[in-house]
Amino acid sequence: MLFSGIPFLFYFLPAVVIVYFLTPRKWKNAFLLLASLLFYAWGEPRYVFLMAAAIVLFYIYGIAVEKSEKYKKLWLGAAVATGVVMLAVFKYADFALENWNRLTGMGIPLLRFALPIGISFYTFQCISYVIDVYRGHTAAQKNIISFGTYVALFPQLIAGPIVRYVDVEKELQARKTDPEDISDGVFRFLVGLGKKVLIANAFGQLTETFRASQDLSVLFYWLYAVAFTLHIYFDFSGYSDMAIGLGRIFGFRFPQNFDYPYTSRSITEFWRRWHMTLGGWFRDYVYIPLGGNRVSKGRWVVNILAVWMLTGLWHGASWNFVVWGLLFAALLLLEKWLPLQKLPDIVRRGYVLLTVTISFVIFNADTLAQAGSDIAGMLGFRGVPLVSKEALYCLRSYGVLFIVGIVGATPLVRNTAARLGQRPVSNILRPVIAAALLLVCTAFLVDGSFNPFLYFRF
Amino acid sequence: MRTRKIIGMLLVLALWLGLAGWAWLRPETEFSATERRELAKLPELSWETFLDGSFVSKFESYTLDQFPLRNGFRSLKALTQYKLLNQLDNNGIYIVDGSAAALDYPLNEDSVEHALKVFGKINDRYLSGSKVYAAVVPDKGYYLARSENYPVMDYDKLFEMVEQGMPYADYVNLTDLLMTEDYYRTDTHWRQEKLLPVANRICDVMSTAKPEGLTPVKQTQPFYGVYYGQAALPMEADALFTMQGSWLDGCTVTNYENGKTTGIYDWEKLSGEDSYETFLSGSVSLLRIDNPGAETDRELIVFRDSFGSSLVPLLTRGYRTVTVVDIRYLSSAMLDRFIDFHGQDVLFLYSTLVLNSSSQLQ
Repeated sequence: MLFSGIPFLFYFLPAVVIVYFLTPRKWKNAFLLLASLLFYAWGEPRYVFLMAAAIVLFYIYGIAVEKSEKYKKLWLGAAVATGVVMLAVFKYADFALENWNRLTGMGIPLLRFALPIGISFYTFQCISYVIDVYRGHTAAQKNIISFGTYVALFPQLIAGPIVRYVDVEKELQARKTDPEDISDGVFRFLVGLGKKVLIANAFGQLTETFRASQDLSVLFYWLYAVAFTLHIYFDFSGYSDMAIGLGRIFGFRFPQNFDYPYTSRSITEFWRRWHMTLGGWFRDYVYIPLGGNRVSKGRWVVNILAVWMLTGLWHGASWNFVVWGLLFAALLLLEKWLPLQKLPDIVRRGYVLLTVTISFVIFNADTLAQAGSDIAGMLGFRGVPLVSKEALYCLRSYGVLFIVGIVGATPLVRNTAARLGQRPVSNILRPVIAAALLLVCTAFLVDGSFNPFLYFRF
Repeated sequence: MRTRKIIGMLLVLALWLGLAGWAWLRPETEFSATERRELAKLPELSWETFLDGSFVSKFESYTLDQFPLRNGFRSLKALTQYKLLNQLDNNGIYIVDGSAAALDYPLNEDSVEHALKVFGKINDRYLSGSKVYAAVVPDKGYYLARSENYPVMDYDKLFEMVEQGMPYADYVNLTDLLMTEDYYRTDTHWRQEKLLPVANRICDVMSTAKPEGLTPVKQTQPFYGVYYGQAALPMEADALFTMQGSWLDGCTVTNYENGKTTGIYDWEKLSGEDSYETFLSGSVSLLRIDNPGAETDRELIVFRDSFGSSLVPLLTRGYRTVTVVDIRYLSSAMLDRFIDFHGQDVLFLYSTLVLNSSSQLQ
């Protein structure tokens, strides 16, 4: 079920919120688990059993790691292996087989499993939970309902943020339902909905128009690249906002996932601001266990390359994601050696925007060949004219949206809102903006048919 | 301050829950007049339909179609898109000077070639001894989009393809006889009362009597065309005129699908979902127009799409019978079961819209 869909907004969510607040405290987790399983089963009825199996297995692993001194490592290994095998079978097997067949000329049939929605998110949460128990950062959860609620919790189930067990451990035991939290949660949810429905979907349509066009030009390639860069930011950060807002409504505080990444002055900073929970996960559960930077230079370079190749692969089983990850590895390594901070701010920001835009062209391509072709088009090597009629039309038609998108990707709106927040007028403005977002987003959803969500595929 | 903040947001929640409650409880609407389609109904829920995903997808369609104030929300979206975000089209519909049209680009050459292939087969199979003519009806976008720099299909290429792809036909160019105002503002089609120059030229080329002695009669029923519903914006209704005169009023139309014979206009359709269907009853595969007042025994066969519905009556004056065929609904391979081909005049009259999306032509 999509957050940005009428069934969720006007059927599932109101029913769940009403019943949740009527449910006695001790049954709240059980109700949330049940609602989350229904939410998941809505789009993936069969794979709900896979998730249920993961809940049971990792629940057992957590207790086993805590109880067993002798076989602690073994249980940890089993937990990590289970997570990796789940991902390998359902996400990477066909990619591996395709490449194997290509290399050897063999014809091993592909498994052709549909990708279970959100598998990358909930598997990572399960693995991190067992590692945290192993490290003694948290006690194992003895109540399987509470653990199941953590894994399946619908606000963050299918697209994150990647919530670690320690982040919500206390809230799983007991949480308050403060009216101010609900108020802030509703507002945050509607802001996220607006980012997704009004901005991301429009840029998504532009990228589709580009792909279908027979009137390409250098301008159109650039419009596409910038549109997709804005699309993925508003899509994903909007979904994170909705998840965080929903969490607040139910009394959870999920970690922030985005902090205006396009204002970064280096790629290192960009990754501290983009999909922060994923970056943090790889840092704490892969990079540091590999030795981090406290190893020889050669080993450190290998660590960086490994982590970023895995980050790329986490996004999808395709070579363009590997190249995308390795591109960031190369840039991060370069930034360790080059005195980037000596350059003027504007040059540094320009460098980040340019490299990130190109990286997302690679990210969004179906194949490496298409990525190469798109970048060649941007550089004017595709033999297309500089401008075309359709590109000019799109530029005119999406001009205001580009301005909204670019301004919205900076902290300008947040800072203005923060300044206004000190004044009494904000008491009126906030609900007015929230109501307007609710009505306009509903209007776009009722009329529109274009409403995909990018991070569902991860 | 904190209390006011919470109260404000509680009102938003009340609005949200109110809309949700309305969505759950409101009775189903069966038909959308503005969109001219049946709305989705609540699907049947069973284990099978849930597991195979059909319930989910149908339920999602149902929630969209049955949402309270659906038309109002569609208008709100259109206004936001046009006025606030300054986008130039909404769902591919754009409006210039109060006239709506659909973006239709690029030129689909494969589609045009498919249409030419079908026409060629008809010619080879049935039309020996016939004098064949062809005309392409430019859609409204030919005039509207060009003047406002909207992307358009390569019309010149399309006209050239048709002219060169039908060497067995005399090609009649219509582009210089029309302008934006000759089309309904809320609809795809051209206005019958503006078609005399078009009819005159075609009659000239076919050496037959021109449609003289006709006067436009305004119908009282307001006409909301197909773009009215699609654009979802407040637009003024069009006025629908029918050309009337003694020779035309004497003509009869036989509908082969239902066996009924009516006058030249189907007045029952005037107050129906699409008033344009007043012209030759809308989407009908095969019709015969009999003109008892004709001074010759000449016969005409017209292969046409919906643009032909309003033009064909104006071409009938010099013909005893006019057979009107729509090969979107009747396979051309079966035509000799219904039509006796014996050297009649033949006109292929197709719009750029159909030629650019011709998969239905059989």
